[in-house]
Amino acid sequence: MVGTRDQDQGAAELMLMLLADARLPTGAHTQSAGVEPAMRHGVSVEQVPDLIAARLSTVTAVEAGTAVVARYLALTGRLSELGDVDDAWRARTISPALREASALAARGYLRLLRSLWPAAPGLATLEQRRTPCRAVVLGVTAAACGLSAAQLVRLIGNDDAATVAAAVLKIEPVDPVRTTRWVLQSQPLIDRLAVRLASLTSIDDIPALAAPEIEEWAELHATTTRRLFRA
Amino acid sequence: MPENQPARSLRLGIAGPVGTGKSSLIALICSELAAELRLGVITNDIYTDEDARFLRSAGVLDPERIRAVETGACPHTAIRDDVTANLLAVEDLERDFSPLDVVLVESGGDNLTATFSPALVDAQIFVLDVAGGGDVARKGGPGIGRADLLVINKTDLAPYVGVDVPQMIADGEAARDGRPVLGLSRTDRVSIDALTAWVQAMLAAHRCGEHVPQDPGPMAPHSHATEEQGHGHSHATEEQGHGHDPHPHTHEAAATRT
Repeated sequence: MVGTRDQDQGAAELMLMLLADARLPTGAHTQSAGVEPAMRHGVSVEQVPDLIAARLSTVTAVEAGTAVVARYLALTGRLSELGDVDDAWRARTISPALREASALAARGYLRLLRSLWPAAPGLATLEQRRTPCRAVVLGVTAAACGLSAAQLVRLIGNDDAATVAAAVLKIEPVDPVRTTRWVLQSQPLIDRLAVRLASLTSIDDIPALAAPEIEEWAELHATTTRRLFRA
Repeated sequence: MPENQPARSLRLGIAGPVGTGKSSLIALICSELAAELRLGVITNDIYTDEDARFLRSAGVLDPERIRAVETGACPHTAIRDDVTANLLAVEDLERDFSPLDVVLVESGGDNLTATFSPALVDAQIFVLDVAGGGDVARKGGPGIGRADLLVINKTDLAPYVGVDVPQMIADGEAARDGRPVLGLSRTDRVSIDALTAWVQAMLAAHRCGEHVPQDPGPMAPHSHATEEQGHGHSHATEEQGHGHDPHPHTHEAAATRT
């Protein structure tokens, strides 16, 4: 007989798979997680695994930490503080281009959240913000879906690596097995991130790590007239 | 979601292979109708914002009303499997320039199977041109067979490329079970008037709730498609879904992305 605990775990696993599916209609296929801007400014195919690692220890850590705190606030009913988490992410994300790209991605997730989980705690608060960032929307979604904090970090970490990998295939002729291996090899980093961030409950604990080159490339990319991906 | 809300603009998709004249068709519609209708345009460029810039520089519409959407090199996905980016752009345009009468959504040039999801547009035009080959209309496919209007563009070029325009139009009509086919040339005033009349009629039908968005589908019609043709049942809203559909396999979107 399957116990309640296993059933809960099964439900959360299925939710994680749903949210991690690249076919989720959120407009994610327009994003390259910074790899198109990076390759345009000299990052080679060989260096992409380093880019993934660099992202996981900087911008993606900020993203995941923000989402974890947003999830916590949604679960504990401190919904009015979601705006502060959103501000905290903004304060840690210097590039306006990255903030805009995140806001656009957030709208895709928000549209889904509104349709699939209209009673999600925190949804109404997010709707009142003009442009909530993606991390906060994901945190609220994770709370509605029953994902654990660690699962949420893994979702964001894996999504970042997988988005980079998929985008590279559109930019350079690379064997897709090779790009999949990059995602596989980033798993220990993602899991370590989950261990590090899953227990965050306070805005002050959200990592504040800048990645100046990633930000600069994002700014330059936003003004190019030739690009496949939004950001 | 294009549920019938007469207050909302008519969202009109323009699809068709690369180079058949989708941007020019939009420029033509804008220059002919901008004085009468409040218009907005969304372009889906694959690698550049060339189409948006072409339309802005054509001077047929306030440049602010023309916006480009990135497709992540997946034009097909952006208009069919995951319309999120386009929907957000359409909604922004409708909000920023409220009220709009028509929002034209230009697909990136794609193959003959690329059609718009009814979750994104209320009606769609599929564009072919004589220079692409006189036999293309005969090949059929969802856009050719079941878009709300099939345009056979650049008819003025027919003598130079050896295409029999009446035959190409007849092929299109044969593939479309009575749906309209329009031979168009920007040098042929009568054809331009027919195009604008069609847009006006579609807008009127949309406003009074007569027009129900039809899905051309992602695949070629089945042999039984003609006897079933879509007028009786609609796939316009997700709630109606596929539950009552006697031929659900016709309408299943492929899971893969292009």
